[in-house]
Amino acid sequence: MRVAYITILFAFASFVAQAQESPYFVTYDHHLEEPGNLEIETSSTAGIPRQGQHFFFAPYLELEYGVTGRWTSELYLEGQSTAGDSTIFTGWRLENRFRPLAREHRINPVLYLEYENISEASRIQKEIVGTALDLNETNAEARATRAHELETKLILSSTAHNWNIAENFIVEKNLSENEGFEFGYALAIARPLATLASGKNCRFCRENFIAGLELYGGLGTTQGFSLHDTAHYVAPAISWQISDNASLRFSPAIGLTRGSSPALLRFGYSYEIRGFSTKLARFFGAKP
Amino acid sequence: MKCWILSAIFALVSIMLAQNSAYRPDPSWRVPQDAALKPNPFARKPDAAAGGRKLFLRHCTECHGPDGSGLVKKHAADLQLSIVQDQSDGALFWKITNGNPDRGMPSFSKLPEPQRWQLVLFIRRLKRGD
Repeated sequence: MRVAYITILFAFASFVAQAQESPYFVTYDHHLEEPGNLEIETSSTAGIPRQGQHFFFAPYLELEYGVTGRWTSELYLEGQSTAGDSTIFTGWRLENRFRPLAREHRINPVLYLEYENISEASRIQKEIVGTALDLNETNAEARATRAHELETKLILSSTAHNWNIAENFIVEKNLSENEGFEFGYALAIARPLATLASGKNCRFCRENFIAGLELYGGLGTTQGFSLHDTAHYVAPAISWQISDNASLRFSPAIGLTRGSSPALLRFGYSYEIRGFSTKLARFFGAKP
Repeated sequence: MKCWILSAIFALVSIMLAQNSAYRPDPSWRVPQDAALKPNPFARKPDAAAGGRKLFLRHCTECHGPDGSGLVKKHAADLQLSIVQDQSDGALFWKITNGNPDRGMPSFSKLPEPQRWQLVLFIRRLKRGD
């Protein structure tokens, strides 16, 4: 019964789910999940195709948990649907972010480590590394190739005059194939539309919106460190806090090179369960 | 009548037990002197406290409770205590900004600077009547 209840709770939460943090989809800043909180997010990447390719829609579910004040862990489940082809589950990812320094500094580093168990049919493009994706393969062909990948990022992030400025440097290694190391980057800036909180509860106040701009792309591999056949995007982004716990995000990314899709439309909805660990412990009989 | 009195005593005892009046600050959580001296730009704008209250209810009540008395289970500070209230505005601002992540207090640097000052302004209103 409890399992059924939790399943329903998760299903509902993922339906109503995001808590406003930054508007970024690809770039990470130095803000981690608060300890004991669980954020459930459903996001999607829709790819506008080039001539001869097919439109794709790649949704993913993200469970982000604040393990401690300096360690956040996330689980991703992802899939994709390609027009005129099929809908498939493309794999899962487990990522961890660690903040080595306790205090705020001019530049705040965060270390990122992710394990991916995905297929070549993955289209969520949470990060762009190496060379451009091959979008001409069918789902049946692409899903047959599994990839066990390790990804690391150095996240640098600063706050200056209410602007967030973040830089991510990415190195990814496919453990299943000898592809060398793949490199990528993501840069972003964002600022709230208003920095002062009004006294009233309002949904459409400017303070509830954060606008930003992302720039991300691949930098080739150790087998060919160049910008040839790489994908790069510039992406305005906006987030809207629709309640204390939930927020929406949207970002249209414009492809800058021939290897990029002409456009990627990203949107997400997340919901934060504050004090999740305490609520869960109480549910299973722990004394308050 | 007796039932009402017993209920009131029980409620009062519950509230007192839930408060973290035994809170002792972390001695290693020291505020740099220049940060402690920063004045609150909203000190003469009491209207800004309303926004601070909204932010407090959104971000702080999970651990500090709606009245700021601090939840024992969360080891959260009782913000009404003089040990907290005697700190300067700049010191409270620095603590909200940096947090004390190894002791459970997250950093709220993601909030714009004016909103953190609004929080300080509201925390000043949590002083006990006594």
